[in-house]
Amino acid sequence: MTEVDNAAIRREGMSMAGMFEKYGLIVFLALLLIIAAVTSPAFLGPQNLVNVLTIAAPLGMVVIGQTFAILVRGLDLSVASLMATVAVLATAFKATDDSVIPLIFVAAIILSAMVGLLNGWLIAKRGVSPFLATLATMIILQGARFAYTGGAPISTLPPGMAWLASGRVFGIPVNLLALGILAVFAGVLLHRSRIGRQIYMVGTNPRAAFLNGTSPERITILCYVLSSVCAGIGGLFLLGYVGTVSNWVGQGYELDSIVAAVMGGVALSGGRGTIVGALLGVVVLVVISNLVLLLGFPIEMQEVIKGVIIIGAAAFYRQRLM
Amino acid sequence: MVEPVLELTLIEKIYPGVKPLDRVSFDVVPGEVHALLGENGAGKSTLTNVIGGAIRPNGGTIKYQGREVEWRNPREARDAGIHVIHQELALFPELTVAENILVDHQPRGRLGLLSARERTRQAKTILKSLGISIDPSARIDELALADQQMVEIAKALVGEVKLLILDEPTAVISGKEVDLLFDRMRHLRSQGIGIVYISHRLEEIFDIADRVTVLKDGKLVGSAPVEELTRSRMINMMVGREITQIFPAKASANTEAAEGPVLRVRNLASGKRVRDVSLDVRAGEIVGLAGMVGSGRTEVADAIFGIAPIDHGSIELDGSRIAGHRPSVSIGRGIGYLTEDRKGSGLFLDMSVAANIFAPALSDVSKGMLVDNGREREMAEGQVKAFSVATPTVSTRVGALSGGNQQKILFSRWTRIADRLLILDEPTRGVDVGAKVEIYRIIRELAERGLAILMISSELPEVVGMSDRVVVMAHGEVTGEVAGDEITEDSIMHFAVAAPNRASDAEREAAA
Amino acid sequence: MSAIVATMRRNRLLPNYMVVLLLLAIIIVAGTLISDRFLTVRNFSFLFQQMVVLGLVSLGQTFTILIGGIDLSIGALAGAITVFVASFLDWRPDLIWVAVPVAMMLGAGIGAINGTLSVFLRVHPLIVTLGMSSVIFGLTLMYRKQPGGSVPIVFEDIAYNNFMGIPITAYALVAAFAIAGVWLQRTGTGRMLYFVGGDEEAARLNGVPVRRVKILAYALAGFCTSLAALFLVAKTGVGDPRIGLPLTLQSITPVIVGGTILAGGRGGVFGTFLGVLLVSILNNLLNFAGVSSYWQWVVQGLIIIIAVGIYRSDRRGG
Repeated sequence: MTEVDNAAIRREGMSMAGMFEKYGLIVFLALLLIIAAVTSPAFLGPQNLVNVLTIAAPLGMVVIGQTFAILVRGLDLSVASLMATVAVLATAFKATDDSVIPLIFVAAIILSAMVGLLNGWLIAKRGVSPFLATLATMIILQGARFAYTGGAPISTLPPGMAWLASGRVFGIPVNLLALGILAVFAGVLLHRSRIGRQIYMVGTNPRAAFLNGTSPERITILCYVLSSVCAGIGGLFLLGYVGTVSNWVGQGYELDSIVAAVMGGVALSGGRGTIVGALLGVVVLVVISNLVLLLGFPIEMQEVIKGVIIIGAAAFYRQRLM
Repeated sequence: MVEPVLELTLIEKIYPGVKPLDRVSFDVVPGEVHALLGENGAGKSTLTNVIGGAIRPNGGTIKYQGREVEWRNPREARDAGIHVIHQELALFPELTVAENILVDHQPRGRLGLLSARERTRQAKTILKSLGISIDPSARIDELALADQQMVEIAKALVGEVKLLILDEPTAVISGKEVDLLFDRMRHLRSQGIGIVYISHRLEEIFDIADRVTVLKDGKLVGSAPVEELTRSRMINMMVGREITQIFPAKASANTEAAEGPVLRVRNLASGKRVRDVSLDVRAGEIVGLAGMVGSGRTEVADAIFGIAPIDHGSIELDGSRIAGHRPSVSIGRGIGYLTEDRKGSGLFLDMSVAANIFAPALSDVSKGMLVDNGREREMAEGQVKAFSVATPTVSTRVGALSGGNQQKILFSRWTRIADRLLILDEPTRGVDVGAKVEIYRIIRELAERGLAILMISSELPEVVGMSDRVVVMAHGEVTGEVAGDEITEDSIMHFAVAAPNRASDAEREAAA
Repeated sequence: MSAIVATMRRNRLLPNYMVVLLLLAIIIVAGTLISDRFLTVRNFSFLFQQMVVLGLVSLGQTFTILIGGIDLSIGALAGAITVFVASFLDWRPDLIWVAVPVAMMLGAGIGAINGTLSVFLRVHPLIVTLGMSSVIFGLTLMYRKQPGGSVPIVFEDIAYNNFMGIPITAYALVAAFAIAGVWLQRTGTGRMLYFVGGDEEAARLNGVPVRRVKILAYALAGFCTSLAALFLVAKTGVGDPRIGLPLTLQSITPVIVGGTILAGGRGGVFGTFLGVLLVSILNNLLNFAGVSSYWQWVVQGLIIIIAVGIYRSDRRGG
């Protein structure tokens, strides 16, 4: 073992490779930004940057939640379906009065937390694999939502919902501010608090975590609740942006959120990754999408590039396990 | 002299910065058991991998059955008659014994399709020739570990095996199972098969080996017939220094008999493996818990720590029952538990040294709900120094450290929070001789500081050398207890192989 | 029949299959009670026509799940192949003998790329096939955004006609499962999928060419997807990039219901066949019962949870 150990220590030291692994994403992002600035002067314009980030805000919220699920060796496929369901819930109040908005938020968070509890219960208590459990919730939510709406889009929303996407507080877009608050909260929880430490423990070695007095079941459930709640909040902000509730609000966010987190260095094998990394993953993802547009490529090209990037990023982090 | 079946000459393996094998020569003649010794990292595994074709050497020659060969992959070596039994058994738990035995010699029936019936028949024949009775259609995950190992040996007999390599086969079995294994090995030896045998247990070497080769730091130290060697000479060759005193001096007898025991277990039954166990551990005392693998030792520890349920009987710490039976409560009461599976249930390999040390006691380094990273680092540095853990920094990943250092980190973790009772399950498993000595010293120091220690071990010399008292289990029951000068390997074995009920409770009480 | 039972007993799968068979029986009895049009040759012919696509993609998915992987590019690939076939035959309707083999090779080839990327980049197949799904879908969209193209009438014949009173699709589906079943259970290469899925490291040590077996499993998944796509295009008559997308997740349910575990190494195509029957007949029954297709989603979600609940006694979970 010793020979391997020495090599490992060296690798983790201050080698170039180690540095690159740590800062690779930032370097990559910088490269993207330079390419963007050179090829399209419009890109670095403040208006475009704010636009890019504003579009990214709801995804960022979902990614924060997804990070928690992935950290405990799981993933959450139900986030997108939950976003749409929360959006449908927002219309269920049939209100055109802004005073309902806080109520909408409370209801959305309660619904999300319940979905998260269900996911967490299936996974932690019933031993269902995260993939299947969240897949099942995803389909169930989808069915319930369609059965409620009959498949038709609805647009009876309080006008104030649009403020979530376009409003500003002290000159900062509201959704970015909300994302920032959520990120700081999640970051402190994950990287500074005892619960965060326990999340990493459970993600790294659930059995050892249990023997060290942590309850892997409770921590896992908490992570899925956080995932769902973040997705629910993200759903409301996305609704504010879209304006109309179709039954497919947020479609694709389940995969995009996993892609962003993985690109940001959150390991699918659990126990590794940070909030900042995951959010950088989001930025890279939206910058690429934006760049495709600015460079005048067909919009479908985004899909192709996204696919290549996700495989490349994952290969970069060498994740071997689920 | 018989022509060697395998002859390695000046084998070299170089990785960037390290040389796991540095011009090593090694040979095996048909019909001998050749033991390969060395500390962890000495190059034994690399050497077996070279022989088995899993690693290609950078230099040197391999002569097999008189011809120079160069394996491109394990399959080639395998087809030529070299069978390696790795520490991690290469079995498929979901599949049947027969399918595992004939994994790459699947018999064909009609139309060139595989035949399950023929498979079972052939497997049965092979198992019979080994003299083992295992149901060929049983699934591997239904078998005991020792039987799984026999399946692995049966696999070797499918083709024409000329050379059998066993990498620490006895790490996971003990007692009768070891005897059975050795019996089968002698049987194979008598058929002219060359056997390479790797083990950390020196006693076994004298029992089974004909010749011994010792490696150290990738270099050949020496090779000699076993009759020419002594135990201390072997240790000396392995560590490269004379270890005069492996075990520290024991406590002077019965100084604290007046005090009540720290741990008091009465008529404990837990799960399938623990049927009736009573034992005491006093402060400052090291109690060895001995018995064959499968006798229920680990399960007793699990029950004490709150992992396994208490189906019957009682467990008391300092005279009161432990309420709300689970690890977090046990930790709160001052119990520490160093499990036998260091990587599986002990360490967080991807996390830092500091995070590992404080894993069960986050509140010690927290302010409110938040972890105080500065304080944690400072305290961790103190612990690392106190246990002389060789690590670059306390933020180094634990997975990057050697087995001995990982074990010391576990000691520093549990001794910090265990101020009443420390349970050690195989505390020196997979640790090299040098680190063992240090760990023994640490255990004794902890006892001297007043901690009650319950130590489970499969290595009898360790139990004899460390324990102030030994409780022996068999079949889920305590069969006997020995203390002081009565602690010998023979006396422990006497109880370990005893049928239960023969040693009655009264007898045990009298001994204590 | 007794031989099948004996095989099942040997593989210790009987109890699990029994549950699925029992559920099937219950559903069929319920169906008969609900509607007298349920248990008719006509309805079951229709069922088999509906089932063939789901059956083939689930068969493909069985191979990848058996080796402990998964293929999330099935839907995008199926769409891409319908687009290829419909576009190509729209241009040269006489070249069916070129279009069909090329479509199959395309499927197997892209599957092999999935496997190769996963094996050599050492990236989890979930991520690789997800990425490939994006790439395939994007490229297909760049070629054709809306459904279009056409196929010769002979395709439609295959999709809807009967042979000796039984739909051609039924023959095709049963044949595909039978071949796959014999291959997995009774050939050396087929068994290797179980070795790799059961314990990759053990397989490697036993001289199983792990990488090649994995690539083969994904190639087979791609091949099955191409067959499914051919039936899809035969049924709809057009190439549609989006038509396959729901299949990706749909393909997983029957595999899980049939007792193949996500961790790999245990299960088989017979279970998947039962799973396909169960899902299809249940949906058919819900249609008869007048339950909206939306609620069928809910039912499908519940089936997954229940199925995993049944197999949960497995040591390695669902």
